Amino acid sequence: MAYYVNRNIKLTWWERIYIPEILRGMYITSRHFFLNLFGFIPYFLGKAKNRTIFTVYYPEQIVEYPVAYRGRPVLAVNENDRLNCVACGLCEAACPAYCIEILPAENSGKQNEVERWPKEFTIDMAICIFCGFCEEACPEEAIFMSNECEFDMLDRKQMKYGIDKLSKTTEELKDRIEFTRQITGKWNY
Amino acid sequence: MLVDILITLLKIFFILGVTVGFFAPILTWVERKQSAIMQDRIGANRADILGFRALGLFHCIADALKMFTKEDFIPRGANKILHTLSPIVAVIPAIVTFAVVPFGGEYNLFGKQVNLVISDLDVGILFVFAVASLATYGYVVAGWSSNNNWSLLGSMRTASQMVSYEVTMGLTIIGVLMVYGTMRLTEIGAAQENFFNWGIFLQPLGFFMFLTAAIAENKRIPFDNPEAESELVAGYFTEYSGLKFGMFFMAEFIEMVTIAALVTILFFGGWQIPFVSTESITSLFDFLGTTASNAIAMLIHVGVFFGKVVFFIWFQMTIRWTLPRFRYDQIMNLGWKILLPLSLINVLVTGAVILARS
Repeated sequence: MAYYVNRNIKLTWWERIYIPEILRGMYITSRHFFLNLFGFIPYFLGKAKNRTIFTVYYPEQIVEYPVAYRGRPVLAVNENDRLNCVACGLCEAACPAYCIEILPAENSGKQNEVERWPKEFTIDMAICIFCGFCEEACPEEAIFMSNECEFDMLDRKQMKYGIDKLSKTTEELKDRIEFTRQITGKWNY
Repeated sequence: MLVDILITLLKIFFILGVTVGFFAPILTWVERKQSAIMQDRIGANRADILGFRALGLFHCIADALKMFTKEDFIPRGANKILHTLSPIVAVIPAIVTFAVVPFGGEYNLFGKQVNLVISDLDVGILFVFAVASLATYGYVVAGWSSNNNWSLLGSMRTASQMVSYEVTMGLTIIGVLMVYGTMRLTEIGAAQENFFNWGIFLQPLGFFMFLTAAIAENKRIPFDNPEAESELVAGYFTEYSGLKFGMFFMAEFIEMVTIAALVTILFFGGWQIPFVSTESITSLFDFLGTTASNAIAMLIHVGVFFGKVVFFIWFQMTIRWTLPRFRYDQIMNLGWKILLPLSLINVLVTGAVILARS
């Protein structure tokens, strides 16, 4: 049985003869065409700094990602050149993809040393799904999602990132740290 | 005698150079770039030679190289001979049409009358239609021979569309022929020396219908049902690759130039400039001698003609990137129920007006 879809479109007589509507459409497209055409020329001659077209030449130009963007996870290094991480293993437990491996080390009675720290901290970027659960789970502000999303390897073994590759100073991660404080509200209660 | 042959050869080389050598490759670039600019994008600009990009013009060369070096694929079960033959059948008529298309008037160079048309046939406009319709065989056979359902559907749609719109196109032209009383394209062009004698003023309805029917014949959006990407994979040339595909592509672009040239000659005064007659140009440069002044007039006229052609190519591209595609039944409705009666009325009214004025 034929099924009639009522789209609630009632065309006026002016629209039904179609030619004025074609001309209107062509006016719109050719207006864009000429505005952009003459907007282009001064840009390429180097006179106008702002052009009307906002296409980004990707590899050469990269847009700034918003703070909420979840790129690859990184470990925060504080001003004493130590990781914030205390190797509690919460992120390891929270990770739905099981990509985090932590080998903790403990203070053996020496002075001037923190209580606990990760001896090895490995994230397999080939497995990571960039969900940000590790960041949420972390009680120590130690792991954050950075804005880096471009990393490619020729080999899966190279996708295992150790502490040396994961470390980033808190200075670099300032915006993201502020953002997580606002969002998760961990430090607000 | 030898001079005549030389002049004809020169004209042939000029037309071939302009259509196949210039317009066909450049239009691939224009299509991309114009659509991009219209949609607030930048468009193709990555192909470069030694870091020099030239606004993406090298994409034409890159396309040509790609088509030459691609594998020439013939599907299993396809008719090899027809599969190879059909792109040739499609592209040759598109080029041959230009034999009767004048791109300038008649000039007196070195004591010789040079007519800027390769062959000035008595049946000029009929020749264009006869040859252009031959291209349909190429499209239909292409779909049939490639052993693919989608291709066959596409070619059937091509055939039906051609049949429907050829009628309208022919009847629209009759109005123009009645007004100018000749079928020679050169004479039609020469008759439009007076600005108010242009076809657009004498046959305004005819112009719109001719353009519509011509775009439908060329199978471009809004009439691109034969190659509808979302319904049939790519229509009749789904199974084509390499230079054979390139030939279909080239045929489409050359037909676009043909349509633009025909519209220019029939409705927009051909090579004539409004309010500036040939005599006024030659008399302005008369101090240089007959040959030089005629040559200057010739260059100006050819430039004006191709300027108009470029404008109509731009116009067709704008239509192509503005309108959405018609449904199949809408195309048939438009062709048979609207355009055909309108063109008949057009012929009737034109005849009545001519009768009343005589």
